[in-house]
Amino acid sequence: MKDLKHLIFFEKLLQEANNDLVKQGKADGNRAIGYTCYFMPEVLLDLPGCFSVRLRAPGCTSPDIATYYLSGRVCHYARSLLERALEGGYNFLDAQMGTETCTATCRFQEHIQQKHLDSVDDMRIIDNDDFFCTFTDIPFKNTENSYQHFETQLRAHVLEPLHEHFGIDISDETLLKTIEDHNEVCRLINEIGDYRKLDNPTITGYEFHVIQLVSLACPKYLILPYLRETAEEMKTREPDQKKNFRCKVVLAGSENDDPDFTKLVESCGALVVCDRFCYGAVESRIPIEVKEGQSPLRAIAEHYLKTSNCPRFMPQDEMRARKKRLADLAKEYHADGIIIASNKFCEYWSYERVIDTFILKRDYGIPVCSIEKEYINSASGQLRTRFQAFVESIEIKQIQEGN
Amino acid sequence: MKKCKCKLGSKLGKFLLKFCGIFVALNAVLFIVFFFDLDGKLLFNVVEPFLKKHYDDMERKDVLKEPYDLDKFPKYKYDM
Amino acid sequence: MAKMNLAKAVKDFWYGKPHTAEEGGRRLGDLYEDKTGLLKHREWRGVKDTFYYMYNIWGYNYVHMVLDILKYSNNPIDFLKGTLRYRWMGQTYLPVIHWFERGLQGMRGEALAASAWHYRAMVSASIHQICNFFNADTRLHGGKQNNAYKHTFYANETTCGTLFYPWMDAGYQYIPMEMIPYFVTCHVNSHTVLNYIDAVQSLGLPGDPCPMCQAESGLFVLDDVPDSAPLIITCNEACDASVSTHTLQDWFANKPLFALPLPMQFDDPLVKKYCMNEIEECWKFIEEQTGVPFSWESMKKRLERQNKLQRDEWEKWEVASKTDYYPINGVAQALFRIYSTQYGIQGDFWEEASEKVKKIMYKCVEKKINPFPQTRHRVIAWSCAPLYYSNWCTWAYNCWGLNVIINMDSLMFDMEIRTDSYENMLEDMATYHMWAPMRRMAVGGMHHIFELWDYMKRFNCDMVAMYDQLQCKGMQGVHGLFEDEFRKRNINAFWMPHALPDCRTVSRAEIRRQINDYMTTVMHEEPLDPSLLDFDDSMTW
Repeated sequence: MKDLKHLIFFEKLLQEANNDLVKQGKADGNRAIGYTCYFMPEVLLDLPGCFSVRLRAPGCTSPDIATYYLSGRVCHYARSLLERALEGGYNFLDAQMGTETCTATCRFQEHIQQKHLDSVDDMRIIDNDDFFCTFTDIPFKNTENSYQHFETQLRAHVLEPLHEHFGIDISDETLLKTIEDHNEVCRLINEIGDYRKLDNPTITGYEFHVIQLVSLACPKYLILPYLRETAEEMKTREPDQKKNFRCKVVLAGSENDDPDFTKLVESCGALVVCDRFCYGAVESRIPIEVKEGQSPLRAIAEHYLKTSNCPRFMPQDEMRARKKRLADLAKEYHADGIIIASNKFCEYWSYERVIDTFILKRDYGIPVCSIEKEYINSASGQLRTRFQAFVESIEIKQIQEGN
Repeated sequence: MKKCKCKLGSKLGKFLLKFCGIFVALNAVLFIVFFFDLDGKLLFNVVEPFLKKHYDDMERKDVLKEPYDLDKFPKYKYDM
Repeated sequence: MAKMNLAKAVKDFWYGKPHTAEEGGRRLGDLYEDKTGLLKHREWRGVKDTFYYMYNIWGYNYVHMVLDILKYSNNPIDFLKGTLRYRWMGQTYLPVIHWFERGLQGMRGEALAASAWHYRAMVSASIHQICNFFNADTRLHGGKQNNAYKHTFYANETTCGTLFYPWMDAGYQYIPMEMIPYFVTCHVNSHTVLNYIDAVQSLGLPGDPCPMCQAESGLFVLDDVPDSAPLIITCNEACDASVSTHTLQDWFANKPLFALPLPMQFDDPLVKKYCMNEIEECWKFIEEQTGVPFSWESMKKRLERQNKLQRDEWEKWEVASKTDYYPINGVAQALFRIYSTQYGIQGDFWEEASEKVKKIMYKCVEKKINPFPQTRHRVIAWSCAPLYYSNWCTWAYNCWGLNVIINMDSLMFDMEIRTDSYENMLEDMATYHMWAPMRRMAVGGMHHIFELWDYMKRFNCDMVAMYDQLQCKGMQGVHGLFEDEFRKRNINAFWMPHALPDCRTVSRAEIRRQINDYMTTVMHEEPLDPSLLDFDDSMTW
């Protein structure tokens, strides 16, 4: 396939958190607001006057000082974020919108929060006088009580602090306009992503992963023109005559902001056609719908709870339904199998991976490759072997089934 | 000292003596079991290995065959 | 010389050997058989204490272990059947008296008596719970769902028993599903739980998630949880792995399951309403499943008893913090508190023990008896403790004079619940549950865990035993900051690495070695009883 026009530019943007577009966004007088979790609605951080940056720590292979603080037995992602923060890599942040949604990233965010207490010294990790960090309590359920609670929390811990600290306009009208802009990003990403559903897709999983990540890590208003252009380009992009993959897979699991991991999977012959993992597009690029008579904030609160497939959700029906949703994704994207990848020390996905591995295969007949990975994948040799074996097993299955 | 010739008294005396003897002997045995941790040794060396073998040999249900129905249970949602 | 030796021998016989090496020493470490931890012979504690121990603790508890079964079991044969059916039962019930032994070693007088009453209450409550399991278990009754089954609630062991008080007048029982099969077994016989950890890992679960949660799911993998209740209530206490455990439990139990999530950011006043609603939703679920309405009277009277127990505990803490007359050792204090708050008011075992202990305590206060006369340091134990070595406090006192006064787990439920109105009760219930086990200090902002300094002052402690649960992500995530603060504040603190229930990750000997190293190299102190410094108890219960 012909190279995408902006792919190299996008790849460059992913080399560091404080990338060129973030710098430009700051130079335009906007505030950079960091977050780590899907449950912090990025749309609220993209209100006029500020922009969201979903934190990453690309290239962080040896988080030594962070390991002193968090120990070596905590998720590599959280340690890498802290290491990058300690290196000064997030000094551009004006605020961090924290969530206690997983323990490790919560501890990272608590380290960068200025608490002004006698009991523990603040470290002033983020060297920015304006910087503050607040925490929002995120529900574990999809119920009316949870929606109300989430809405209250978002108002108190996201909107009002943004208004108080930076004078951000948090009126319903502005929120509605921001939702529109957000939905345009969603529409474009979905449009680009839908080419993965073709029999011979005109976009690789790696390329899509890069595009999705830049939409999370850069100011929306600055990345939008590039996304529009890419979407246009995709309309006429021709696939290679000969399929250069041996099977299609859904990549599911925990935090994954490393496109090289997707590249690794694809180098073994498995085209990643769907990305159901933290930082993936499956949930985060579903457009937000504001119903008649509904306040935009309430719509946002409902949207983020209803669309999430996070293993953090506790109700029985939710626990069971998300296996089916994953199976449905495999069907929708014509995938031959699912790779479930959990980060080492991620407790949510360690369990979810176990149960997915059994249920998807037993009840839905979908082959599953279950792996544990690091944030930065130094053990690529071992993983390559696993993926190659998985691809071969799918091929054998297809031969046996006479396809 | 005058010896009590009453049969009942002698029987009672013997019974008391026997009772005290049994009481002392029982306590002595109990003390030996207690002091030398014989209960612990019996449990550790005999009872537990037997039980372990029993549990190891026990046939167990293959829980992985347990169904995972989507609609077996309703959504437990309540508006408060 | 011979006269002096004879006098000493008589004195040792009458009073027991003195504690310290300088005074001739009792050398408790010499009593152990190598590896098994069994005793060559029990310690001679002097005439009075030896016979008190033999009759009032050893004998009394053996007898009551039988009497309790007769008291709480609908049919003692079920108890026998259950013992043969469930590994956690058979392997744990029998060595209970050795559990007493490990926790009470070296104790004398009031310390021995008071600590033993705490143990007694825990055993009685455990038997009550086991009988409830077996009375209702369909597996022991030919698959029949009997009346007891229909009157039993299952909940995750970290769901506080208070939640179920409203149905207890109607004859319902609450069983924390994993409390006996996992939690209690770890204390009594640390080998049992390893089967469950290995079982869940055999499905592909990595070894790094919290081993408590691994064991909790492993019980289900090995099909070793009785089928004693028609429904399950789960909660999100205390960590990510707790939440995830339920995915496996739900699959294998396959029963109606209600999830009761509690907010994480509990300092935030805005979360209370949400939490109150969640609790009420849970009550609605129970009403719907049982057809029995919420009973305020049932709730109120048990909460009042619970509050009384809480006030008792405050009385004890007051003595512990301000005097040297507190007669309960570290392990008896910690476990009694956790067991009683988790299981709740389902019998009178806690109140009875508490009254007896208070009586002994006030005797110590009145007569100025110091039950731990060799105390060199008053220690506060922080973070979560090693279950397989909960009696480390007893060892630490005997070996080094480290007297553990209080621990973090005990301080979690530090409140009464108002019973003057439904609204006030519900509000306090919300707080209580948000603080509940392992949450009060562990979540909702890292400043909670640094309340350590306040508690050190409150309990007049000069040393910190910092538990280092290697697989607890929350506590590992504050490791470095604690190091910094200890240095900055010049606080004597030693780290105790462990893996909660799994004695294979860090052995008891390794824990002792860490403390020994700290006491010799940092504190430059000599052991009170050098025979306890190094011994092999790797195979012990």
